[in-house]
Amino acid sequence: MTETAISVERVTYRYHNGFQALTDVDFQIRKHEFVAIIGQNGAGKSTLLKNLVGLYKPTQGNIVVNGINTRDISIARLSTKVGFVLQNPDRQLFANTVEEEITFGPRNLKLEQAEIDRRLEHALEMTGLGPLREDFPMALSAGDRAKVVIASVIAMQPEIIILDEPTTGQDRRGCAQIMDIAKDFQNRGFTVVVVTHHMALVADYAERVIVMCQGQKLLDGPTAEIFTQTQALRKAFVMPPQVTQLAARLQPQLGQQGAVLHTKELADLVARQYFSGKESSIQ
Amino acid sequence: MKYYPGTSFLHRLDARVKIILLLMLTILVFMTRNFPVLAVIFVFLLLGWKISGIPMRELGGYLKLLVGLIAFVVLIQCLFQRGETSLIDPILPEFLPLVGGMGRITVEGVQFGLLLGFRLLVIMCLMPLVIMCTRIRELSLGFVKLGVPYRIAFMITTALNQVPLLQDEITTITDAQKLRAFTVFEDGTPLKKLKAYPTLVIPLVMGAMKKSMLIGTAMDVRAFGSRKGRSYLHDIQMGRADMVTLVGMILFCAVLAAANYMLQR
Repeated sequence: MTETAISVERVTYRYHNGFQALTDVDFQIRKHEFVAIIGQNGAGKSTLLKNLVGLYKPTQGNIVVNGINTRDISIARLSTKVGFVLQNPDRQLFANTVEEEITFGPRNLKLEQAEIDRRLEHALEMTGLGPLREDFPMALSAGDRAKVVIASVIAMQPEIIILDEPTTGQDRRGCAQIMDIAKDFQNRGFTVVVVTHHMALVADYAERVIVMCQGQKLLDGPTAEIFTQTQALRKAFVMPPQVTQLAARLQPQLGQQGAVLHTKELADLVARQYFSGKESSIQ
Repeated sequence: MKYYPGTSFLHRLDARVKIILLLMLTILVFMTRNFPVLAVIFVFLLLGWKISGIPMRELGGYLKLLVGLIAFVVLIQCLFQRGETSLIDPILPEFLPLVGGMGRITVEGVQFGLLLGFRLLVIMCLMPLVIMCTRIRELSLGFVKLGVPYRIAFMITTALNQVPLLQDEITTITDAQKLRAFTVFEDGTPLKKLKAYPTLVIPLVMGAMKKSMLIGTAMDVRAFGSRKGRSYLHDIQMGRADMVTLVGMILFCAVLAAANYMLQR
């Protein structure tokens, strides 16, 4: 049986002003999963993430990360188990060079210099920031600034990485690069949780989707399965990717089972339909 | 520090009256060296808070932020303000060059330190009261109607508008740092905190500069300052109650100024 990375146990969270942002949220994330959390603005996604990393403690219920209740551990200690990439990189950068920025966390952990160097090289390699290591982070492009923040979180060597809308303000290439880094992190045996409004990226990268609506978990399941539940998604003001919607409209003609998540998949279905009997695939 | 919605007398009072009151009391606070005068203003302001209907915990929150600064000011004045009546003799003998007489604490020094601390306390009760009882747009219009150029009035009110946003930014930045095992602002010594300030200030200032440039561009593309005069969506009118209050406040401040003069002689 796969081990649990994060266990959210009937969590309710109420802000100081009395606003209840989460109500009775309950789910588990297994190790090595790539999970996307989606929902409209104000659905409780960011509050949920801040609870997962220990910045907020649940008003009711518990969050257990790698077997440790977030109530029983300091944020600093928890940061070595779960890394959090905040939405706006500009609020997180202050050092004079990319190297200094990346090694800030490991230095706070008072690690040996050799270990700090090893982590730095590892983070630079994963994010492709090697050529920019001496540059001033604030002067980098939006895509590279986001990568510096991700690298600085990777340098903490967490087993779980959580990204809050990492592709905001990024072009298509930037989005793909950031999500590729997250996928690479998963491929190396770690757990990834992403909050995003970018449904095409969810379809391309996430294996599982959790849909939040008005502070509650509305849906939870494999990506293809979730994107077939259009009625429920509409309630959360979420639309499946365009290719999935198009494929759903063409379902009577194409006769496929379940949701189509990728353009290539739809192209193959269309090709098969119109060139049936022949070995064909649109490249 | 932002507008706290309400319908109290202070909320309804014309912004110009509140600005004039703010100016008069600020000048008085910085002019006076008398504790009784400061105490009267302090009690008057506490009454103002009561009338405004704003919970006292709001004021408590601001004062909590200021406790360290007040203590620091009092301490520095105690240590460095010269005086005649010695309370504690110097640690270093007087004849030593530069550092001679260090450590002497005088009655005058302690009094002056406490006076400065009290002044800060009173100002901290005054400023939030006016700002929290007045809509930003009314404050801006109040400045303009008092003859302040619109650009300057806009600058002041925009800066006030940004204060709560800056507080949010500070929380986000310190959260991001906690997530990288940086807890100096929570459990570090004062010296460590001082050394760590660049990690907080750099992203804060860079963010504020970027935002101000964006605001500037957004204003330029909407013809900010293209004409000398301008019209206003909302207007403010000075009513009878406002006039009576203004006259009352001027008299009150005049009496305090006279009392201050008498006590100082």
